[in-house]
Amino acid sequence: MTNPAYWLDRKFGLRNHTIAHYAWVIVAIAGVVQMVGAAIRMAFGVLVDPLVETFGWTPGSIGIAYALMSIVTALASPIAGYLGNRFGARKTMAVGTALFFIGMMWTSQTSAIWELYVAYGTVFGIAQALLLVPVVPAVAAWFRRHLGLGTGIMMVSWSLGPALVVQVLAVLFETVGWSSAFVIVGVVGTGILAFVLIYFRNTPEDASRIAYGTLPNDKPLVTEGNVFVSTQKEFQRFVYKTNAFWNLINIHFLGCVGHAVILVGIIPMAINKGVGPLTAAGVLTTISVISVSTRFITPILSDKFSAKTVMFLSFFGQGVGVFLLFTADSALDFYVFAILWSIPYGGEGTAFPVVNRQYYGHFPIGTTYGWQLLGAGLGMALGGAIPGLVFDITGTYAWAVGLSASFSLAGAVGIALLEPTRHQLIPAWPELEQDPGSLGVVEPVEGRKLSPEAGD
Amino acid sequence: MASATDQKQKSAVPELEGFAISRPPLLGYGLIASSVIVSVALLIYFGAWAATDRIENRALASGNVSELQDGEWWEDGLIFACPLH
Repeated sequence: MTNPAYWLDRKFGLRNHTIAHYAWVIVAIAGVVQMVGAAIRMAFGVLVDPLVETFGWTPGSIGIAYALMSIVTALASPIAGYLGNRFGARKTMAVGTALFFIGMMWTSQTSAIWELYVAYGTVFGIAQALLLVPVVPAVAAWFRRHLGLGTGIMMVSWSLGPALVVQVLAVLFETVGWSSAFVIVGVVGTGILAFVLIYFRNTPEDASRIAYGTLPNDKPLVTEGNVFVSTQKEFQRFVYKTNAFWNLINIHFLGCVGHAVILVGIIPMAINKGVGPLTAAGVLTTISVISVSTRFITPILSDKFSAKTVMFLSFFGQGVGVFLLFTADSALDFYVFAILWSIPYGGEGTAFPVVNRQYYGHFPIGTTYGWQLLGAGLGMALGGAIPGLVFDITGTYAWAVGLSASFSLAGAVGIALLEPTRHQLIPAWPELEQDPGSLGVVEPVEGRKLSPEAGD
Repeated sequence: MASATDQKQKSAVPELEGFAISRPPLLGYGLIASSVIVSVALLIYFGAWAATDRIENRALASGNVSELQDGEWWEDGLIFACPLH
């Protein structure tokens, strides 16, 4: 029987790529994990009003739970990355799934504010880190080449997931109430995560397959055993000694402050200029939808050209783009801003897996990526606090817009100071003295010589 | 006894050829330190501004503008930390 993936390959006229590879199953699973993981974060917006109505807590005290969750996720990210490297993404995400379930059930039964802080702020915060951090390095391990394509497809779920989850939650809150909604989303989400993790494999070697884009002369990479553990420790020490390691954490922090100000502040900014609430919400939706395109294309361009150049353009565009808000005073102005700004914004964070590959080769990047997400998480927390704080004391959003531009442009300067991406900064990750054919799969994608067993 | 995987990996120990990064990543440290300092300074500045406003508003609300109002611990802390407020 013909594999439908090969049929699609022929149908789409694919020559240098194939759909018939398990790497795409891993990418799809990563997308699902990102979507369910995003529920943790995105559920909060729709949770505030029901909690105010039910318990009489102030929005400010409820908001502390979100801030706590953001900070806990950020602080737990390097640990989650390390655990993913050390014990495998699958086991780490399984623990994250268990915490996701506990957090959802506990939040649904919350009756005191401290419980919200523990259940949502702490348990959810750790669950989010364990789910979202190790999955990206795991996807990277499945791509010997064309990592940009794999990353781009995965990153699309960053935009689509929240949009979908928020709608589902809003409908559930209306129909069954907030408590039952959390129970339903918790049970269904846990079920989905548990199901997809059955099919998840940390590395191609775990699944006795070879990575996407492996050429006939490529030898398999070391992915387990004593050498894996000892080399990883040694290489991680090298990574800590590179300027890029510290600078990339800083860059992710600056970029996230830059766009968090806009994402949190754009609706109140538009309303403040006389735009209706529904139209103002449409501005944010427009940003989410249009940024999907650059989330997809940025890693591919970064892979093909230089990640440093593509990242610089994204940060520069994100910084300069917000200047449009200084003169925006109509719905049309805000929509023009949304369309133009979302293009660089979409590319801001998605090139990091690719730039890590260009600097550190096939070294497992879990811990390194976790540190970068620490910067991102703290940036989102700071950027999210700026619009409200600044508006309360100045009565205008101009300061917030100026700060957003300054942080993004400072990030662009940081990128300009990064090392060139032409050469790796650390030695090549060790390979096994074994040819790929010995794993029972032969998959030279380039040249279109696929065997029927090729990793499907 | 060594596992089959470890035996295969004996030949896979990386050839580092004396690879070393001797210089500390001063640029990276410097950039990240700059961001931390600027961010903390901004938080203190805007926080102290907000704290001053809150104390003044309470004074206005109580109709006792001439007397110094006591701030909450975090308001006093931010005003103390900010040299501009």
